[in-house]
Amino acid sequence: MDRQLKVGIGDMKLTRGAGEIITYALGSCVGITFYDPYIKLGALLHVLLPERQNPDDPNIYKYADTGIHETVRKLTAFGFVKSRAIVKVAGGAKMFEISGNATFGNIGDRNAAMVKKKLAEEGFRISAEDLGANYARTMSIDIATGEVIVRTFGRPEKHL
Amino acid sequence: MKLRDYGDMNLQELDVMKEIGSIGTSHAATALSNLLNKEVRITIPAVQILGYNDAVKQIGQEEQIVGATLVQMTGDINGIMLFLFNMDFANTVFSKLLGKTYSSFRDLDEMANSALTEIGNIIICSYINAFTRLVGLDVSMSVPSSAINMLGAILTVPIAEYGYITDKLMYCNADFVVEGTILNDWLLMLPDIDSLNRILGKLGVE
Repeated sequence: MDRQLKVGIGDMKLTRGAGEIITYALGSCVGITFYDPYIKLGALLHVLLPERQNPDDPNIYKYADTGIHETVRKLTAFGFVKSRAIVKVAGGAKMFEISGNATFGNIGDRNAAMVKKKLAEEGFRISAEDLGANYARTMSIDIATGEVIVRTFGRPEKHL
Repeated sequence: MKLRDYGDMNLQELDVMKEIGSIGTSHAATALSNLLNKEVRITIPAVQILGYNDAVKQIGQEEQIVGATLVQMTGDINGIMLFLFNMDFANTVFSKLLGKTYSSFRDLDEMANSALTEIGNIIICSYINAFTRLVGLDVSMSVPSSAINMLGAILTVPIAEYGYITDKLMYCNADFVVEGTILNDWLLMLPDIDSLNRILGKLGVE
């Protein structure tokens, strides 16, 4: 196996040619993979919250709005072309359901909604998604092939 | 001084939280002991303020499957209580309550899941009751909710809930020792920052 890059919470990694980028245990967080098959350039972004509220906050990858923008800016600098992009998203689950309190833990839905909105604004079409429900997901992208795999507990692996 | 982040707590304030944790945990141990009809001791409690990555490392690794029960607190204290346990703990409970054990979290049936939710609830409630009596605050608790899933995702629940305020967790830990066997469990008490200030204020730590 080639090198593996691990993406933590509120983080982004990109690489080119070969290798794998992986992020573990997405709960309410959302993972977004960007891939340009022509130049084999890919990125994986892991966002925790929908939008940055404090403009001085340096953790831009923590938020969907600033994270997506910055990832696209970086990718573009490496020669990424939007019209060739394959974008896939996973996560946005609700891990705990408290009966009688619908707003608790709905951060997953809000994250997913913001990610979709931001991707649309940036001019991307989402080719595949695995969002919502109540379980954690580990998401990885193989840079050589662009294949995205979502691993969960007690369910078969999913190829997005 | 008013705290703005868990990480702002000084040694004295941490000591106070440790004491609270110790009282809460010993009441939880008594409840567990009554339920299991076995002797339950606790190890010396520790309180730590950890970032997400360190909290995960302290317990295991991101993809490890754990059981968790969550209760939301509202009233004088707002926040979350999260009780995490591994399979050994679950089996100790099952062998007493259901008369059988399971080889992994994967095999649990509905009966087992509901038993775990209840145990988590009892432990959390006895903890909260003991400690709110001590500080004289009034707290109501939500119905319990539980999940069996990846540790990493469960710990992001409080992180996401308070993500705009802090990126740290307060982790009060004392293991239960049931008849000489140490059972790993983790209790996370996560008041929001206003509530934390209120607790410390009530106890005269300013």
